Amino acid sequence: MLTLHRPGSGPWHRLPAGRKSVLLMMLVLGLCLLPTSRTSAAITAIVCAACFAVPGVGLRELLRQLCAARWILGVTAAGQLLFLGPEEALANTVRVAATVALCGLLALTTPVSTLLEALERALRPLALLRLDHRRAALVLTVALSTLPVLAGLARQVREAQRARGGGHSLRRFALPFLVLALKHADALGDALAARGVR
Amino acid sequence: MDQGTDRHGTLEERERIGGRGDAEGPSWSLGAQDVARVAVFAALVAVLGLPGSFSVLGAVPITAQTFGVMLAGAVLGPRLGALSIVVFLALTAAGLPLLAGGRGGLGAFVGPSAGYMLGWILGAFAVGLIVHASPRKPSALRVALASILGGILVIYAVGVPVQSLVTRLPLGQTALASLVFLPGDLLKAALTTAVVSTLLRAYPRAFRRTWQPARRPSGRPAAAHAPR
Repeated sequence: MLTLHRPGSGPWHRLPAGRKSVLLMMLVLGLCLLPTSRTSAAITAIVCAACFAVPGVGLRELLRQLCAARWILGVTAAGQLLFLGPEEALANTVRVAATVALCGLLALTTPVSTLLEALERALRPLALLRLDHRRAALVLTVALSTLPVLAGLARQVREAQRARGGGHSLRRFALPFLVLALKHADALGDALAARGVR
Repeated sequence: MDQGTDRHGTLEERERIGGRGDAEGPSWSLGAQDVARVAVFAALVAVLGLPGSFSVLGAVPITAQTFGVMLAGAVLGPRLGALSIVVFLALTAAGLPLLAGGRGGLGAFVGPSAGYMLGWILGAFAVGLIVHASPRKPSALRVALASILGGILVIYAVGVPVQSLVTRLPLGQTALASLVFLPGDLLKAALTTAVVSTLLRAYPRAFRRTWQPARRPSGRPAAAHAPR
């Protein structure tokens, strides 16, 4: 299963998931409160680089994060340059890049299962609203394990189309894929019911 | 309960056995079929955004994910449709690179596109609300209206202000810039209309409900199952 997580043992990896999320969100909030100027852009860039330049992560990882967000950053920068001045464009784009990269640290240094557990713990107070957090966790787990199944179904449909000489058309792909997915949902629902989920 | 009856039972039986939440639980608890359908549509939205899927406009990573959002609302209805998007977003926030271009993690929820993703939840809800508004089988026109109002307008209405807030670009100019994505979204709305209309004819079980037949010219509709 593909994830954003990279195993390691640096300080970010050792921090518990809940505390790490709160810390990162507060950092991001702090950076967002800075005014739009050249100085705050510099501060933001330095803070962001400092957070990545610790053992277990590294600045190369920061570059990879920015590369992954290049389209978002490109569109942001283009719109800013078009409508605002170059200084605002620089400051705002740097801020957006830094916040996206900083939040990326969470997924980078925490396994998905740990984050889902933290999420379930965070949802626990919802029991007061008569919401069932265990049911929520079940839906998340089932969805997680359904991902590879549906990816496989999508590949099957696409290969079948290619075998018949069809192109890469979303229109022809959508309906058979949707019907296969719905049939899988029926079978999955039956399987859950058979295992005592009501 | 044995699986055989559930599998081949009537729609009403399926509803009773595994479908809807029972009366004693919280008012909107999920039955087994609901869990499965929500999970499958969350995964479907994810698969539509995986690398190697479709780019409508050249290299810009416009994926079919909003198409998945429209489909989820139209097929599952407002409540479960919106829930499946919540599940998809929760998996994304937990660090799976499921968004267009392999992005994911909490970073996506503080970036300029954060509002659009929150808009997906409301969008799926609105699409479901419009498609399932009447007990009659929805016409292609109604599905098209739902896709455009719910799948485009609602999503932009949430997404553009948030984008303007995050990038500090004034609202009007952000709206202008976001028009770049409108052609792709209109294509997806057209596609949703075509697919859902075909699905209504070819695989009506998908909707897990019975529709009253369309109004006859003679006036009174034929006898039909009561709507859910």
